[in-house]
Amino acid sequence: MENLDAARLQMAFTLIFHIVFACIGMVMPFFMVVSHKKWLNTGNPVYLKLTKAWQKGVAIFFVTGAVSGTALSFELGLLWPEFMEHAGPIIGMPFSLEGAAFFVEAIALGFYLYGWNKIPPKFHWFTGIIVGIAGVASGILVVSANGWMNAPSGFDYVDGKFLNIDPVKALLNPAWFTQALHMVLAAFTATGFAVAGIHAFQILRNKQKELHQKAFKIAITFGAIAAILQPISGDISAKDVAQRQPVKLAAMEAHYETSKGVPLYIGGIVDQEKKEVNYKIEIPNALSFLAFGDFNAEVKGLNDFPKDDIPNVAIVHYAFQIMVGIGGLLMLAGIFFFFSNWKKKHWFDKKFFWKVFAFLAPAGFIALEAGWIVTEVGRQPWIIHKIMRTKDAVTPMPGIVYSFYLYVVLYTILTITVAWLLRRQIKSLNSTPISSL
Amino acid sequence: MISVVLFFLFFSLLLYVLLGGADFGAGILELFSSEDNQKITKKTIYRVMGPVWEANHIWVIILIVILWVAFPLYYKVMVTSLHIPITLMLLGITLRGVAFVFRHYDAYVDESQRVYNWLFHVSSLITPIFLGMIFGGMVSGKIVLITKDVPLDFVEAYIHPWFNIFSFLVGLFFASLCTFLSAVLLIGEADEEGYPVYVRKAKIATIIVVILGFITIAYGYVMSIQFVHGITSHNVSIGLILVSAAFLYPLWYTVKKGIRIASRIFAGIQVLLIITVALYPHYPSLLITKNGTLSLLEKVAPESVINVLGISLLVGGLLIVPGLFHLLKSFKMIKILEKQTH
Repeated sequence: MENLDAARLQMAFTLIFHIVFACIGMVMPFFMVVSHKKWLNTGNPVYLKLTKAWQKGVAIFFVTGAVSGTALSFELGLLWPEFMEHAGPIIGMPFSLEGAAFFVEAIALGFYLYGWNKIPPKFHWFTGIIVGIAGVASGILVVSANGWMNAPSGFDYVDGKFLNIDPVKALLNPAWFTQALHMVLAAFTATGFAVAGIHAFQILRNKQKELHQKAFKIAITFGAIAAILQPISGDISAKDVAQRQPVKLAAMEAHYETSKGVPLYIGGIVDQEKKEVNYKIEIPNALSFLAFGDFNAEVKGLNDFPKDDIPNVAIVHYAFQIMVGIGGLLMLAGIFFFFSNWKKKHWFDKKFFWKVFAFLAPAGFIALEAGWIVTEVGRQPWIIHKIMRTKDAVTPMPGIVYSFYLYVVLYTILTITVAWLLRRQIKSLNSTPISSL
Repeated sequence: MISVVLFFLFFSLLLYVLLGGADFGAGILELFSSEDNQKITKKTIYRVMGPVWEANHIWVIILIVILWVAFPLYYKVMVTSLHIPITLMLLGITLRGVAFVFRHYDAYVDESQRVYNWLFHVSSLITPIFLGMIFGGMVSGKIVLITKDVPLDFVEAYIHPWFNIFSFLVGLFFASLCTFLSAVLLIGEADEEGYPVYVRKAKIATIIVVILGFITIAYGYVMSIQFVHGITSHNVSIGLILVSAAFLYPLWYTVKKGIRIASRIFAGIQVLLIITVALYPHYPSLLITKNGTLSLLEKVAPESVINVLGISLLVGGLLIVPGLFHLLKSFKMIKILEKQTH
């Protein structure tokens, strides 16, 4: 394996891992504080038990997210020293602010986890809110740094040099808002459906029904609202990408020939040799409309871009289809939940209802990972869009493939362990009666 | 503004060594304890470190972000030449972090605790050793500046800089310093049962730190390592070493008597002196390579970046330091704020 490929795989692998843990660590505190608030308001011990159970989940995910994040902050330099040498000063601002937000989160989490019966109850609850807000803030800031790689701004590029650096402009790059909005909604959708799905599964198994139903409702409410809002954000993102990274858009849709009134492809098998898509469903003029708000707009095809500037079309196209497909499914599931809760409460007593949500538990995260594959693979071969190529940024140290293997083994073991720990948490949650608090 | 940035760089380094160091040291203490003492230590460090555990380690992220934002060339040389020990250190950080959480948050306390404890102890030891080796690597004069055009021998470019006796001695010294800090911190936090244990351990750790410090300097002097000669030929650093030696007596006395506040202050002073002795005579040439030194300030980020970073750090500092202080106070971590009981 070439060094560049190994470095890219290692980066992809560690990000895929980190994103799951970071998202759960960022979103779950909100579930926890809602449950906590309900306990404060009603005094119902079920909510206290749920809050404490979720708090353990938050602690485990926060720390796993934090250590993998620490590793990532070093990996950026370890794998891409040339990139960091030039980009570091420009995108330092989101990272330094992210450090501050992360610090606030860690302090607040210290208060929250250890504050039971030690600090005033209202202040204690409030520290939980700070955990959530600081978590979302760090998420937004990190995504802003990624946005800069897609939409480099805040400097002049003259003769290979980065001059007149404006860190604030780089932070507020043209992609930051659309990407951050899309990511935050995705995090809430994925975590909401995952947590709800786990509790739905427990309800199916007929364990501690009252507790799991309460847990399900809190988690799915967040997940469903985010899933229903996500298409709006997706539309904004698509229009943004069409403007700024037309080659990425063309790859997402595997659109080869430049033309007007372009149809939207759903599904299909990409033939990269023959430059065509087989077995697809076509929606006439839809891509032109989605990308430019005009049914007859011209969409530039992959054939009109230099060969060296085109990402791996098949990967980007499939990932995009998976993301959109699952996103649509989750939106429908969200509507289904609200409808049942509003008109068909008796569905909550039926097995099929819980089966649907138990089945959907991993779906959000699959969509979220697919989304990152679209944006990251879609940006290739550039590490900084149209400024620096990924191959020019990689470390000169040979043998990165061994470091890649090391990370694969480490993170695979960690993933298995965390899953195993969660099972034990749920088992213990189900086996202890509410009264034993 | 560059002075603000440099201040925060130094401040983060100091706090990481003090707080993160004490944290690593707790694991090392546990490793070198009898089974009964291990239980006491585990209980104590959970109570003492738990609430601030995560905050202790964020200083290294702040440190690294400042380096890459403000001193990109310096950072690049460091992460390229010391890729391997940094990766191993990260492995240690990862395993240690998850082991700490797993052992305290697992729903059941059973046989798996053995695995978590073992992981926690081992990673607590290897992580500071690698951190020390990384610093040793930066100053031992074995780094070869890597250029794209000249292919280098792998061993010479990526192994020798850190895999050498001097760098290893620095690693051992740092691990012993962490153990020392932790033992001194725990004197003031332990209950009746643990109190004599930590007084004894702090005494042993103090002796080991002094001996290892002496060996490291002596070895460097004999082997003509430029970094050590920089220290021994500079008036300020010699003066500070003498101050440090003079402060050993009150340190020893307060540790022996188990006076918790004063012993912490004297331990902190030692760390401050050690860092200053190491860095001051060389500043800003803080990376010593085979073919000369690399200044921290070489190709420093442009002024606009430094200004924004300085402001971010000041704002962040205003947000974080009171919060951290309040956290420590709320969990009675700062015993200076309450009456002495011992």
